[in-house]
Amino acid sequence: MTNTTVNINRRSGNQQQGIATQSLIAIAILVLTLALSVIMSKTDPALAPLLLLGVVAGFTLQRSRFCFASAFRDLFLFGSSRMMRAIIVGLGVATIGFSINMYGEIPFPSFGLLPMEANILPFGISTIVAGIMFGFGMVISGGCVSGSIYRMAEGYIASWVSIAGVIVGMGLLSHTWNWWWTNIISNEPRIWIPSKFSLGYGGGVALTLCGLVAAFLLVLWWESRAGLYMPNMPSKEEPSDTLREKLSYMWRSVFVRGWPAVVGGAILGGIGVLMYQVHMPWGVTGELARWSNNLMSFINIPAPAALGMSDIGGCAGRAGESGLFTHTFAVTVGVLPGSFMAALFSKEFKLRFPPSPRRYLQALGGGVIMGYSAGLAVGCTIGAFFSSIPSLSLSGWLFAMALACGAFIGVQVVKRIA
Amino acid sequence: MELDVRGEICPYPMMKAVEAMKKLKGSDDVVVITDHAPCLETIPPQAGRFGYTCDIEENGGAEWIITLAPAKGVE
Repeated sequence: MTNTTVNINRRSGNQQQGIATQSLIAIAILVLTLALSVIMSKTDPALAPLLLLGVVAGFTLQRSRFCFASAFRDLFLFGSSRMMRAIIVGLGVATIGFSINMYGEIPFPSFGLLPMEANILPFGISTIVAGIMFGFGMVISGGCVSGSIYRMAEGYIASWVSIAGVIVGMGLLSHTWNWWWTNIISNEPRIWIPSKFSLGYGGGVALTLCGLVAAFLLVLWWESRAGLYMPNMPSKEEPSDTLREKLSYMWRSVFVRGWPAVVGGAILGGIGVLMYQVHMPWGVTGELARWSNNLMSFINIPAPAALGMSDIGGCAGRAGESGLFTHTFAVTVGVLPGSFMAALFSKEFKLRFPPSPRRYLQALGGGVIMGYSAGLAVGCTIGAFFSSIPSLSLSGWLFAMALACGAFIGVQVVKRIA
Repeated sequence: MELDVRGEICPYPMMKAVEAMKKLKGSDDVVVITDHAPCLETIPPQAGRFGYTCDIEENGGAEWIITLAPAKGVE
């Protein structure tokens, strides 16, 4: 639509000030986290790698400003597919890795057994309802569950409110789950592509990768249709001749400048594979559901025993683990120091208070809706989407489409409450 | 036109910048003061879309001043 060249000049002011202090705090956090992983590994050796993978995930989320909510939202709000393309790349990486893990467990999919830890979730009305609700909630609150967790550590006060809302929403779901199970979810199939269509792993992986390529092309076409114009972005010239300059350049590339979203997507896909290698695919809903359940027991409104949950698996199915240091704790809480360190090194940490009470309400309301629907879908944008499509589960695709519908509705609403 | 969107949650910093560019149609600069780092990735392509140049100043305290100026030769 325009031939204008857009020049991005990045000028920097007084950026030397305070670097040392923030980096020192970040290094202290790193040492404490490593110490925690040593303590945790005494209870269970798997906890150390899971915690550290959680930390790397948090670091990656912050550095690449990764955001599942914006991936869906910005398609409709700005016509931008940048973040969605990054997610699709991550899904591609994870699909290949997950299938290797699943093959190790179930070499012959046609026998009808499903891999124990893969996120193969119910496919049906509940998936659609939960996806639409979650997509709406994440746009209203300004971030999905994983996004709000890593932003808590960047100092976003609204994200703390969102996560509080998520825990409340999960409580509401726990008290209504048995209705959903009895009337709806117990009749829904869990469709694993390799066994359902007798495609085997080859067919399952090929079909999933073709789906991802098609989705990539679709969002790219969508972006070109919106007339989005990628400006020429010359990065600031930085000398890299001497050893000192080279080291400084590398340091800034990793710790200071934001990473391209697609790098973040690929790394997060790989982290999911490694977590699955250790025990289970990445998910953050299970741990929050556990907190919600413990909190409700504490205030004497304990959730009834969830029917059918142990058969489903996935994130929320792991909410039954007891003790403080569980596998879900490691991969969820590990995100916090990772993101906190990344924010400190890049000097992006700041307590951010929303300017109007309306935003607190949005964060809380969106959070409650996300909590309820993440419980219903047995996972959030991570568990029921980012870990589900690579599990070669059809539910991940249905959930993604429903998320897009919900995000579309959410965009119409956020536009009206500016 | 100056937009102070510090503290705003996603997507309002980007949305308000886009709305300002749409409204002004190149008649004035838009200066966005923000503490939301994702803006640094999302606002520049939008500036291109509406015929603005984009200048980002880091102040080192998790705040940025993004100056969007109408590009020459655009009506």
